[in-house]
Amino acid sequence: MAMNIRGAILLIVLGVPAVALLALGPRGRYGIPPGRTVVRYWEKWTGVEGQVMQEVVDRFNATVGAEHGIWVEYNAVSSIEQRTLIATAGGDPPDVAGLYDYVVPQYADQGALRPLDDLAGQAGIRLDEFKPVWLEICRYNDRLYALPSTPYTIALYYNRALFRAAGLDPNRPPQTIAEFDEYARRLTVRDAAGRIVQAGFTPSTAMLGWWPWVWPCFFGGRLWDGQRCTLDTPAGRAAIHWLADLRVAQGVEAMIAFEATAGAIESAQNPFLAGRIALLFQGPWMSNWIAKYAPTLDYAVAAFPSSTPERRHVLASADVFVIPAGARRPREAMVFLSYVLRQDVLEELCRRHNKLSPFRSPQPDFLARHPNPFIRVFDELANSPDAFGYPKMPMWLRVLDEIKQMLNRVLASPEQADAALEAAQRKADAIVAEYQQMAAKRHGGQR
Amino acid sequence: MTRAWSDVRGWRALGTGLLWTAPWWLGFLFFLAIPMGVSLYISFCDYPLLQPPVYVGTANYAALAHDPVFQTVLANTILYALLAIPLGTVVAVLLAVLLNQPLRGQGLFRTCLFVPTVVPLVGTALVWLWMLNPEYGLVNHALRAIGPALEAINGLVARLTGEPSAWLSDLAAGPKWLQAPGWAMSALVLISLWGLGSPVVIYLAGLQEIPQELYEAAMLDGASPVRRFWHVTLPGLSPVILFNVIVGLIGTWQIFALPYVLMRGEQGPERSTYFYTMYLFDNAFRYLKMGYASAMAWIQLLIILLLTGLVFLLSRRAVYYRGA
Repeated sequence: MAMNIRGAILLIVLGVPAVALLALGPRGRYGIPPGRTVVRYWEKWTGVEGQVMQEVVDRFNATVGAEHGIWVEYNAVSSIEQRTLIATAGGDPPDVAGLYDYVVPQYADQGALRPLDDLAGQAGIRLDEFKPVWLEICRYNDRLYALPSTPYTIALYYNRALFRAAGLDPNRPPQTIAEFDEYARRLTVRDAAGRIVQAGFTPSTAMLGWWPWVWPCFFGGRLWDGQRCTLDTPAGRAAIHWLADLRVAQGVEAMIAFEATAGAIESAQNPFLAGRIALLFQGPWMSNWIAKYAPTLDYAVAAFPSSTPERRHVLASADVFVIPAGARRPREAMVFLSYVLRQDVLEELCRRHNKLSPFRSPQPDFLARHPNPFIRVFDELANSPDAFGYPKMPMWLRVLDEIKQMLNRVLASPEQADAALEAAQRKADAIVAEYQQMAAKRHGGQR
Repeated sequence: MTRAWSDVRGWRALGTGLLWTAPWWLGFLFFLAIPMGVSLYISFCDYPLLQPPVYVGTANYAALAHDPVFQTVLANTILYALLAIPLGTVVAVLLAVLLNQPLRGQGLFRTCLFVPTVVPLVGTALVWLWMLNPEYGLVNHALRAIGPALEAINGLVARLTGEPSAWLSDLAAGPKWLQAPGWAMSALVLISLWGLGSPVVIYLAGLQEIPQELYEAAMLDGASPVRRFWHVTLPGLSPVILFNVIVGLIGTWQIFALPYVLMRGEQGPERSTYFYTMYLFDNAFRYLKMGYASAMAWIQLLIILLLTGLVFLLSRRAVYYRGA
């Protein structure tokens, strides 16, 4: 009997709060109005970026969504590539996903993305309003598989105060690779013990070198010709020797020790913000951190130099929207995307994300109110005929890992530059061959 | 004795038993047995996840045999296991013995040792990143302080062998730890010792189980503390050591998070901190080679099973079970 009473008390103590929580507990922010078709939208953005996108979604739901009977459900998803991939493979993908441009060839080649050429036209999205480079990076095998959301170019940030201290003209950034090399050497400073306290430049991935594969492109090379990964071209060799020579000039051991001291990027210890790196290859978002952690930093932005002054090679990349294959509501998803891609909507998103406008002619207000004071430089770079995106290799991530190994080897042992390049080329060839062989077998099997 | 088919009560009892154990065996069936069976099949397929698997026979296993990255991660994982398990076991046993002494503040010492175990891994990794910083890190600061002594030892080594030890020279100057291929593994092993709190607690529990009479008898026989440790403590603790070694073995073969966070998702200098499970993950979810990754997973399972069996076999004579 005593046991029964105790049991009943336990049931009440545990059961009542559980039932109360179910009945009265927290709900999602919105109840979905009746009669709306739900479009599931997965995005990688969190924090402020996610909040800005949520505002866009809210406005859509309150206006265009209400007219069309559509309700977009925004979900911030970590490791979005993997989750989108698994959901697509499982047959239950989101209707819209916000991915990175570099996975588009890989996913498109596997049939994971829905081509958007026709859908975009039907939804009234005017592709000719966009700068060609942003559509080009969304294409794979001549088909449009993505739409640009927040694009960016990468440029050269340089510390004007350090230029002055080194006797360089702070209004004249380097114009060629040779000049850049000279600047980087002059801007490298050692203490009495020979330790580097300020580096002109480092391509190390440990110190904000986020794009270890780009250097041959500034010598006129491109890493993919449609069939082969082309690392060992004259441009590739020139780039690897440039990096090796610069490394030797700066001092290998001293640079490795220096690079080990990289502080967190989003902090005052960011080496560019702390005045420890004078030349930096980075995107427009850097100005967020400068404004927050080093508001008095005297810096400017210019195009990263190319091997010859008449060429203007520029890395152009973007976060993109895709509709996964098997998405249940592609047309409704396109209604949402056509709203987001309206110039006023998208430019507000891009401005508040500290990115570029993908449009040919950004609205004056976008440029005037942009948080990056050098946004016009970045925007102009996107017009360069030599702008390039990620290599459109469906096996890119494997090759990228080999390129990283090559770069690390060159930076640790510059005398092995040629051997490192040849080894990377061999490995890249093997990866490409294996992929093509499997693809041929697969397509053969399908026929 | 076999059950008669007409034994209705027996069948009913079986049905009831199956019904009540259904949550377990259904879970086992759907979330373990079937997925494992499917992964075994996939290991014989080319399966890029987004297209149906295509049977390729043993091609994945054959490719693994010639994959230099696979050989690297295999070697790294074996080396890590060979370094981390014995070192971790010795240090944990010694710490447990020390913490078992009836000293004032015993509880405080035990708590201090266990606290790092409950610190989130990312926090631990970030702290160690700074501790092992070649220029400003605490570890190198300490090494440089004793640098002259290390150099003196190196001088002796040079006199004995004809040349100084590069390893000792590096140590005296302060290694580049995570930036140097030759030191990155040592750094990881060093960090792994930080999380010894859990095995130490298990060893402490094991020490309580060793009968006090055995120590008293040994003391009456005039055994020194070292002999008591060797002939009483270690045999008494041997089943616990076996358990921890096996758990450690499985853990080291699955190491992923610590090197991943420490190296910011990179593979480390010359892939020196790239481990088996990291390569498996990359194949599955970055390179979309799910068949290849499944083959790796099955090889990993076989290796762990083999090594565990080997440890059990070798431990037969070394492990003392009370009452056995």
